[in-house]
Amino acid sequence: MAQVKYVSASRVYAKDAPPAVDALDLNITDGEFMVLVGPSGSGKTTALRMLAGLEPLDGGRVEIGPKDVTFVPPKDRDIAMVFQNYALYPNKTVAENMGFALKMQGVHKDERTRRVREAARLLDLDDKLLDRKPKALSGGQRQRVAMGRAIVREPQVFLMDEPLSNLDAKLRVQTRSQIAELQRRLGITTVYVTHDQVEAMTMGHRVAVLAGGHLQQVDTPRHLYDNPVNQFVAGFIGSPAMNLQAVPLADGGAQLAGTTLPLPAAVRTAAERAGLKEIVLGIRPEHLHLANGSGELTGEVLLVEELGADALLHVRMAGIGSQMVARAEGRKPPAPGQQVTFRVQPDDVFAFHPETGARLAG
Amino acid sequence: MTAVPLRGDAPASLRVRAMSGQVGWAVLAWVVGIAFFLPVLWMVITAFKPESAAQTWPPKFIFSPTLAQFRLVFSGWGPYVTHSLIATTVSTVLVLALGVPAAYALSVHPVPRWRDGLFFFISTKMLPIVAAIGPLYVLALHVHLLDSIWLLIILYTAMNLPLAIWLIRSFMLEVPKEMLEAAELDGAGRLREMTEVIMPVISPGLVSTALICVIFAWNELFLALNLTVTNAATMPMFLISSVPQEGLYLAHLSAAATVASIPVIIVGWIAQRSLVRGLSMGAIK
Amino acid sequence: MTVLEDLAPPPKVEIKPREIGRRELWQRRLPLLPALVYTIVVTQIPFLVTLWYSFQNYFWNTPAPAHFTGLSNYTTVFTSPAFRGALVRSVVMTVTAVIAAMILGVCFAVLLDRKFLGRGIVRTLMITPFLVMPAAAALVWAGPMLDPNFGLVNWLLQPFGVHHVAWLSTHALGSVILVMIWQWTPFMMLIVLAGLQSQPPETLEAAKVDGAGAFATFRELTFPHLRPYIELGVLLGAIYLVNVFDAVRLMTNGGPGTATTNLPFYLYQEVNNAFDIGGAAAAGVVTVILTIIVATFALRMFARVFQFEEA
Repeated sequence: MAQVKYVSASRVYAKDAPPAVDALDLNITDGEFMVLVGPSGSGKTTALRMLAGLEPLDGGRVEIGPKDVTFVPPKDRDIAMVFQNYALYPNKTVAENMGFALKMQGVHKDERTRRVREAARLLDLDDKLLDRKPKALSGGQRQRVAMGRAIVREPQVFLMDEPLSNLDAKLRVQTRSQIAELQRRLGITTVYVTHDQVEAMTMGHRVAVLAGGHLQQVDTPRHLYDNPVNQFVAGFIGSPAMNLQAVPLADGGAQLAGTTLPLPAAVRTAAERAGLKEIVLGIRPEHLHLANGSGELTGEVLLVEELGADALLHVRMAGIGSQMVARAEGRKPPAPGQQVTFRVQPDDVFAFHPETGARLAG
Repeated sequence: MTAVPLRGDAPASLRVRAMSGQVGWAVLAWVVGIAFFLPVLWMVITAFKPESAAQTWPPKFIFSPTLAQFRLVFSGWGPYVTHSLIATTVSTVLVLALGVPAAYALSVHPVPRWRDGLFFFISTKMLPIVAAIGPLYVLALHVHLLDSIWLLIILYTAMNLPLAIWLIRSFMLEVPKEMLEAAELDGAGRLREMTEVIMPVISPGLVSTALICVIFAWNELFLALNLTVTNAATMPMFLISSVPQEGLYLAHLSAAATVASIPVIIVGWIAQRSLVRGLSMGAIK
Repeated sequence: MTVLEDLAPPPKVEIKPREIGRRELWQRRLPLLPALVYTIVVTQIPFLVTLWYSFQNYFWNTPAPAHFTGLSNYTTVFTSPAFRGALVRSVVMTVTAVIAAMILGVCFAVLLDRKFLGRGIVRTLMITPFLVMPAAAALVWAGPMLDPNFGLVNWLLQPFGVHHVAWLSTHALGSVILVMIWQWTPFMMLIVLAGLQSQPPETLEAAKVDGAGAFATFRELTFPHLRPYIELGVLLGAIYLVNVFDAVRLMTNGGPGTATTNLPFYLYQEVNNAFDIGGAAAAGVVTVILTIIVATFALRMFARVFQFEEA
């Protein structure tokens, strides 16, 4: 168990190409479950592989515990990794797969068997499976063997590269909570990569959002949701996504759907100081409250997505006709074609700089 | 497996080790490559020597080259190279004509109980043709095919067919099933499926297969030696005829050997990727 | 922690797949028939003729026609030290060449599996021996390479204390085997290289993370993965190498004496020098039977290669 530090870590693939990972600074505390999330190409997998030693660093350094491991080969870093496609050894049985690293360390056969059994029990892998080869296992079972291979080693750091992406939806949801619980029980520092922000939000102690090789924001899921530091984070975290719309500024607020929405003073001052004529407005779907005719924002319902407990309304707003998504009660949602009005609290409105994407706040 | 470049600020010991590892590997690979190629290189060098320069001790690397040996070779090679060209190309065409449908029947729409068909073809290669050479000679004589280019064509086709079927079959297995199903839905019958879907996809594979057939047919000696005299004598026979019973003619035989081998070597080099793909495909599938 | 997908499915009613209709079956068989018929005619007829002649007394250089002679040809074959010698030598040559070529092939494949400067050129150089006409290779090795007085090999080995060795006299069998290995190593190398390059890179990375060094990775992961490829190479190589004729005929002409006479050369001699069609036929049949026995063992290995295909 140890802390992990990325200090200005960079990786460039070709001479004039933009860096895959650009001067990443990230501290992960001992025992923390850190999720690296971002769209494809954001550099999250590269960052993970740099920690594993499978990618060299072109700048900066990586530390595990007190040691600088930048030039240390993977096998000496005391890490274990779960690969996206599991990377199980095809010619070995499940037990041999899980015990492989221990065998490389010279651990005695009996001790190996004991630890493999223990890990198998922890993961609910039946004893019968231990003598089978990977090709005779189901996808879910293979995933657990891959996890078992990592657990058996009792390393300082767990690395996981999108381990759930090859499972079907239902299994994914189940396994998600199992992994989170396992990590809580074992208390091993974990770095987990995913492109799925739902996984990130539900599993991580903290989440690091990456885009284009840059770290956008690292924070607890709650803070990321309530206080996104820029437009990208705001639009990436939360499902359904935050409504983002470029709107012109007017006296006292922003113009949207034919009315002027009041903006907090701090936002207005920040916009003035930056000399902005328009901003990007952000409102989360659940902050658009359906008002029976008395709301400031009007629009026409285009599509209703019924989710059971909730309904998502796709609304074409009055004025410039931009589309927004609003969350409503599932029981009796408005019908398509209906005119509706919304109310929104000023504090629930986010404002972002139209060029830099930075959050405009006090 | 790529060699990982190390940064400038990596510890010196690591950099030295990585550098020397890479250099050492490259040196070893080059030494092995050159060592393997050396006899071919020596053959070509010797071909440009006058006989006097070929029979020296120590062997000469510096000498005044001459084309005399080649002139001798080219003055005599006419009928031989023609026969080789005919036998090779016609037999290869026949192999493809017979092999493609056969491979199709063994891969895309297989007959359940005839899977052993492939094994039957391979098994014919396991039974050495050398065993039948005597009776084959007598048989050929009776049907007036002795010393006929057609006899060689027939036999070379049979010789290469099993390997060709194996290779073409493995290429056909690569055609994505969805493509065939889409064609079927679009109304393509068997023939159309073959010409418009399968052939375009496997055409690089057909090139590989043809290449391998050409190599084996062109280089074949045993059957040519035993079943031809003059009317169908091929390049390997020419090579033998350039080595008289008495006397040492190292330069001359090198020239003949070079001329005989060069076509296949050049073709093999150019289509190297194709050749490697062919052999690998047979291995992977 | 129960996982839903581990629950047993309910028992099924036995449903058999529908059989393919007769017309469809024949439509499927049709494309195979030309090649099949052709192969049967061209390969089996000579064999049947050989079988017939093996029971005949027929000498090519006498006017007497062939007449039935029972098993006397076979008796001659089985009691002939020449045949037995040729058989032994065939086995020795094939086994040695196949094993050596495969070992070298694996080593060189590993060598070529890593990127280095000029890797493409080195590969081109290394496949050339396979492309060279075997007759040409035999003549070049016999002459400019191994000649006792003017050969390159003797000159290259001088610093090691080798003086004008007459390779084709004193080490005839070794020389022939050397040429066989030289020509077939590239073939083995290419097949093994295909195997090396078909290894999923992630599995190798997992091994790196799990603490396996280069040797351990090769021993535990790469070699088991290569087994089907090695077996295929050995099988195909053996099929071609057992029939080697060119090198024997052109380097040593089977000699000195019979030191390098293998089965193909022995059969050739029976036909061309002894003009004994009947005897050659019997020897041929025995060769075929022996090959079938060996092939049956190879069949088990071969079946695994087939299984591997289907996987």
